[in-house]
Amino acid sequence: MNWIKQLFSRRRLYGDLSDEIQGHLDEKIEELVAAGMSKAEAAGAARREFGNVTLVEEDSREVWRWPSIEDFLMDVHYGLRTLRKNPGFTAAAVIALALGIGANTAIFSVVNGVLLRPLPYRDPSRLVVVSLFNQKTQETFPLCDADFLDWRAQNQVFSDIAAFGGNGFNITGSGSPEQVRGGVVTAEFFSTLGVMPVLGRTFLPGEDRPGSPPMAVLSYNLWQNRYGSGPGVIGQGLVLNGLSTTIIGVMPPRFLPSPETQLWTNLVIKPPTFRGPYYLTGEARLKPGATIEQARSELAAIAHRIEQQNPVTNSNMSFRLTPLEEAIVGDVRPALLVLLGAVAFVLLIASANVANLLLARASVREREMAIRAALGASRARLMGQLLTESILLAAIGGLLGLLFARWGVKLLLELGPSNLPRLEEIAINGRVLAFTFLISLASGILFGLVPAFQSRRSDLNRSLKEGGRSAAEGQGRSRVRSALVVAEIALSLVLLVGGGLMLKSFLRLQAVSPGVNPNNALTMQITLPQRQYHDDSQVISFYQHLLEKVQILPGVESAGVGISLPPNLLEVTDYFTVEGQAAVSERMLGLADLVFASPDYFRALGVPLVKGRYFTVADRADSAKVAIVNLTLAHHYWPNENPIGKRLRTGGPERPNNPWLEVVGVVGDIKYSGLDAAPEMVLYEPYPQAAWSSMYLVVRTSSKLDKPAMLGSAVQNAVWSLDKDVPVAHIRTMEELLSESVEQPRFRTVLLEIFALIALCLATVGIYAVLAYSVSQRRHEIGIRMALGAKRSDVLWLVVGQGMLLTLIGVALGVTGAFMLTRFLSTLLYGVRPTDPATFVVVPGLLACVALVACYIPARRATRVDPMVALHHE
Amino acid sequence: MKNREQRDLFPGALEMMILRTLKRQPLHGYALAQHIKRTSNDLLQIEEGSLYPALQRLLKEELVKAEWGISSTNRRVRIYKLNAAGAKHLEHEVSRFERMLEGITRVLAPGGS
Repeated sequence: MNWIKQLFSRRRLYGDLSDEIQGHLDEKIEELVAAGMSKAEAAGAARREFGNVTLVEEDSREVWRWPSIEDFLMDVHYGLRTLRKNPGFTAAAVIALALGIGANTAIFSVVNGVLLRPLPYRDPSRLVVVSLFNQKTQETFPLCDADFLDWRAQNQVFSDIAAFGGNGFNITGSGSPEQVRGGVVTAEFFSTLGVMPVLGRTFLPGEDRPGSPPMAVLSYNLWQNRYGSGPGVIGQGLVLNGLSTTIIGVMPPRFLPSPETQLWTNLVIKPPTFRGPYYLTGEARLKPGATIEQARSELAAIAHRIEQQNPVTNSNMSFRLTPLEEAIVGDVRPALLVLLGAVAFVLLIASANVANLLLARASVREREMAIRAALGASRARLMGQLLTESILLAAIGGLLGLLFARWGVKLLLELGPSNLPRLEEIAINGRVLAFTFLISLASGILFGLVPAFQSRRSDLNRSLKEGGRSAAEGQGRSRVRSALVVAEIALSLVLLVGGGLMLKSFLRLQAVSPGVNPNNALTMQITLPQRQYHDDSQVISFYQHLLEKVQILPGVESAGVGISLPPNLLEVTDYFTVEGQAAVSERMLGLADLVFASPDYFRALGVPLVKGRYFTVADRADSAKVAIVNLTLAHHYWPNENPIGKRLRTGGPERPNNPWLEVVGVVGDIKYSGLDAAPEMVLYEPYPQAAWSSMYLVVRTSSKLDKPAMLGSAVQNAVWSLDKDVPVAHIRTMEELLSESVEQPRFRTVLLEIFALIALCLATVGIYAVLAYSVSQRRHEIGIRMALGAKRSDVLWLVVGQGMLLTLIGVALGVTGAFMLTRFLSTLLYGVRPTDPATFVVVPGLLACVALVACYIPARRATRVDPMVALHHE
Repeated sequence: MKNREQRDLFPGALEMMILRTLKRQPLHGYALAQHIKRTSNDLLQIEEGSLYPALQRLLKEELVKAEWGISSTNRRVRIYKLNAAGAKHLEHEVSRFERMLEGITRVLAPGGS
């Protein structure tokens, strides 16, 4: 191992070299003196002949080294020493970088978990979901059994086809009754996804045909929580919605993006006699070699054949095919990409800030650099060293940023909306670390290059003569610093405008009236097992008794049940026909939210009665069929008439036997499809005339609802006193429901505001630092001006003017940039245009004010310059 | 930049001259410098110092050996000696150089096509 020997003998080698060179010079001097020169002359001549001793020694030593690595290590060593010697500078730079890198790492770990990591299925890019699409109304909705069977029979391009629907399940039989979300799936559901169970088996082909026994596959969660991860669970029975079912398998954790789905049962499809109900989502895997386009055209052909055979139900119907990944994360992608863009801006601003700090320091270090150059350091070597120092800074910033990010990710997971898909896959992993490393390196090079290139331009002789006390800083350098500040202001303005738009949009969203009084109302979901409550009269009687019991609970003012709840718990929509207006055309059919409700549902929610009456106990199953409509529906169909007494019925021409309903009341509008949804038509029917086993109970209290949990358990006991096998789920106050419905917009708005504020702080610090530095450099000039009679206010304006000029250029650029970029926000905004004029005026104005304050502080300092001191200093 | 002699000579020229000189007799650095200067009639502008990095390179490639000894002027000096590998390397380099020189001369010769 020759090189090891070299490494250890190097010290001796270097010593020999110095001795040898010294000997060489001595011999020369001796010879010259012998030839008659004076000793001093001889020494000079010998050195001239020999050349630069230090450089020769360095070059000679270099022969023995691995130059690049060792230079680098030396630069690192030297760089660390320099950073330690300037703790203020180092801290400022490292904190700015850590903020930037930390924010980037945190957001990237979300993007990585949600968008980038492949879905936990075999070859997920070949999976698609299929739904129905009405080409005329542009509505997308689920398939019915017949659609699925027709598609499966005619398929050529898919290797596997399955379908699934969501369902609520009451688990009874063993342990406490529990209500969970689950899926009803066809036999090939799991094999299409290509995921094996961790225990037992999944469904076999054919187990969705009539006559198949009820079977269930459990989620990992349910297996852990309800069965304590016992291996003996396979083959055990459980009662699902009153049906004895056998457990056949357990899926791995993180099997589906939604942790809400707790179990899957086999869907038994009987040969359909009509088209409907629509509740299935198709799921399929492309054959090897088949493309999405081929699949789309085949599905179009199939839809066309179905349309020809069923012109009434399927006119204008086509299939809509979406890649599975798009279906799962497509909704959150824009928001996440916007956030990723925002943190990239923050990092750019932080880098510009650090570049500015480095430039300021570079002018202080000019003499040091000049001396090193004079001693023979090549320019490339000096640039290399400056770059090493900045990359070192970035590395320290990156490490600290990683700490910030760890904390940030934890916070994101706690604050993040629970309905964010794939939330549980967010973590700081190898890929995130690699990302952090890369952006740290990139930012180090980015902000390191600016001062390094500047150093290349500096004039060695001038620097040595002026000795680092240069009165006028190099024009080039101050231009670069100004450009950096302008860029910082422009970038932060873009973020601030984006943040302003999001904030305004969020405030608008929150100001939307849900149409109900959200105070002092408690809600919960009750689902009656279909087996025990298969008869409508049983269901009606259960809820009647329950309401009687709840209404007499202490503190309860009113209590009602309904199948849907605002702001986004809509269960049923249906077409309806208005008497006398139906014949015009098939497209006159209106689509309404259908809500079956008890008399006090409206009072408990606080929905105002506009005309007519609420439902009463007299609206029984056997009395005249009645309905209540909302204002939107009433205005649309009877704009200038009294709606009371008019008649309408659900369904279109294919359901001519539905009874006419007489409108007895008009109530205020309620949002059932989310606060941001367009106004919708709502049709209410009394629940005894349309029994429904799953209902939301709303309880309004007379005084302030300060202990919702206590009331909740009181109501729960009332339910269990009627039937101990009926679960109560989703207990929330109305305020909580409203707040949960805007979780995602709130999440992205809060994050964007945070990033915009960080950007604002960094840019403010940036402009302050540049001006403060400029003032300290111009002390001499300011002193002369004051000696020549300039007033304090003149000096003040000189400095403030310089800063505000930069600010205004930055604002102009930023407004232009924001104008071009905010369009990417358009899908995230509610009630605000991406070019909202008010935001585009107010936000730049605010930024200018903050910048003015940042300029004023150094300007004040400039006015305190004592001309005598400043001039004497020269 | 690191090898300053490269600006005046082509790479390896200095090493070749050192090896050639050492082939005649082992010498120490100063004597080596004086000899090259003298024999070249000071035509080559070589800084004496530039000899040392070249000597280190030859040492590292094990083409020469160095030993501390006493010079004719009674100084403690490091004397460089050519070894077999060095002699072979020199031969190879010289023939390569001659071929190169011949090529250059032909191109530079007046009337050459």
